[in-house]
Amino acid sequence: MRLRRIAEKIGAKVLTGELGLDAEVDAVYAGDRVSELLSRASERTLLVTNLNNRQILVLAQLMDTPGICLVNGHVPEPDMVKAAVAHGTALIVSDSGMFETCGHLYESLGEETQSEE
Amino acid sequence: MTTTRYRIAGGDFDSAGSASGRLKGWLKRVGAESHATRRAIIAAYEAEMNVVIHATAGEMRVAVSPEKLDVEVSDQGPGIPDIDRAMQEGFSTASPEAVALGFGAGLGLPNMRKHSDRFAIHSDAGKGTTVNFTVYLNSQAAVADTQNSIRTLSENCHECRRCLFACPTSAVRVHGGRPQILGHLCIDCAECIRACRWSALSLEGRDSLPADAGGVIVIPPSFLFGFGDGVPFWRALAALNVLGFREIRVTSAWETAFRQVVAEYARQHPELQPVISPICPAVVNLVELRYPSLIENLAPFLSPIEAAYEEFRTEKALFVTLCPSQQTALTRRSYRGGRELVSSDVLRRAALPHLAGEASYDNRPMHVGEIPPVAGSLEVRGMEHVLAALEEVEGGHWSGIEVLEPYVCEQGCFDSPLLKSNPFVSQRRWRECRDRFTGPGRAFRREEPYVPRAGLRLDDDMGRAIEKLSKISEITAALPGRDCGGCGAPSCEALAEDIVLGRTHRWACLHLGTSEER
Repeated sequence: MRLRRIAEKIGAKVLTGELGLDAEVDAVYAGDRVSELLSRASERTLLVTNLNNRQILVLAQLMDTPGICLVNGHVPEPDMVKAAVAHGTALIVSDSGMFETCGHLYESLGEETQSEE
Repeated sequence: MTTTRYRIAGGDFDSAGSASGRLKGWLKRVGAESHATRRAIIAAYEAEMNVVIHATAGEMRVAVSPEKLDVEVSDQGPGIPDIDRAMQEGFSTASPEAVALGFGAGLGLPNMRKHSDRFAIHSDAGKGTTVNFTVYLNSQAAVADTQNSIRTLSENCHECRRCLFACPTSAVRVHGGRPQILGHLCIDCAECIRACRWSALSLEGRDSLPADAGGVIVIPPSFLFGFGDGVPFWRALAALNVLGFREIRVTSAWETAFRQVVAEYARQHPELQPVISPICPAVVNLVELRYPSLIENLAPFLSPIEAAYEEFRTEKALFVTLCPSQQTALTRRSYRGGRELVSSDVLRRAALPHLAGEASYDNRPMHVGEIPPVAGSLEVRGMEHVLAALEEVEGGHWSGIEVLEPYVCEQGCFDSPLLKSNPFVSQRRWRECRDRFTGPGRAFRREEPYVPRAGLRLDDDMGRAIEKLSKISEITAALPGRDCGGCGAPSCEALAEDIVLGRTHRWACLHLGTSEER
């Protein structure tokens, strides 16, 4: 599913404009530990996390991950948004917590799979 | 091979990740497979973050060849007092600041090991830590990297085929006047070098000392007695001084430390007895190739010469090897730094002119000590006996023996085919003076796991492998069974396998098809 569609479905705010929203995502990994996110991230993964810092962006850039979804309505520093734009990583924010956000994601990705079948 | 280095600033979370980012750019440009790049970057980023989190400064050094990427990340930091504990998932000493950023889950080191093909860690408490890892850049490279250190010189080959029959793993072929070693089967044991009367097989490596020889030199005991009975050991030492080496160390120091940890390991793991001592790298190769069920019996420590290599990792040092298996074990360890290898034979020739000179050995500190006896350990020497012993252990026939210490050479390392002196005489001379050469040497745990080698596998696909196996028995049955070696393969069965795997043709056999097929 395209990142744009995912953002719409879970009602997340997009902070980085149009950038990267056409990226195709087929896996979601949620967590707050860098090592775990690192070993799961790929060029088709959306990372869902509370980690509102530059390091999560560096990680996404290293692993070619198209997007990061911050949860709990975290507001990233303007510098971080700028850096995300500069590298082409989509940054979206969900107002719900980790559990709820993941629930929405699970549902919407599930629907998609069913409609494909 | 191209190398580069990146600096890493300790405590600087803002620019953390930049070394890994540059490494990634580098790998993209050389066109490494994306799966391999991904693994390399995961391991590199974890290593980089460890420097940022724990150390004051560090450096990432990288060497890339078409086959593999070697990375060394070293730092000046507090060091790791207990590496075994640090390697466990969930153990961390990261600061609250790092934890708040999502680090310090205690997964960094395990992640590095998981995402690399070879991994080693070395730490000095209070000084710093060094992590080495290797990632193969394409799926074929891992298989191809079962390299050996045997050099073949076709022009010397007389096709006598002694080497064919000497090889315990049927890795040698002689075709068209050229000896050929099948790398995936070779265990680097030197039996073929020993069998060759024409110097068509020898040890791979440099033919002379490095131009700027100096610093530390690590020699095997046998080197001291390699100049004939009339030449006392201190003359050999003096010659090394003349050649510019400021510190001479003998591997026996690491051997002592090694034996102790292996014995201790065996006591802690009675269920793994007999624990197999990895003192002879050729035996380790043999177990990985032929006895994979015994891999868990191998004690997880570096052999004495590898330990010495590890201990002098930051120094300019020359390591004297006695056989292909030692040579390969050392060249395989990633990042060479100021360390060089030379064969015992080359060093001997370089030292010869300096034996008769005025110089006398100036009696630098030689550490005196006793070699503690290790109870329950059994030495088994000689290829035939080692093979038999491993068979028996595999069959569960041994009990009451804590440690099996196998050497593929009949007289252990005194019996390398590179040595010119009588192994029995050398051993006696060594016994008379060895107390002068013990300690201090450290034992090192082996961080990279032992892995079964796929050399014997006929095909990646098991179904096809079974087909090939039946084809091989079919052809073997049709061959005369004389195992004459005339075809260049060591046995009729080996020829049948060569035919099925497309290495040669049926008409290579001198006895078969003289009438119809030829």
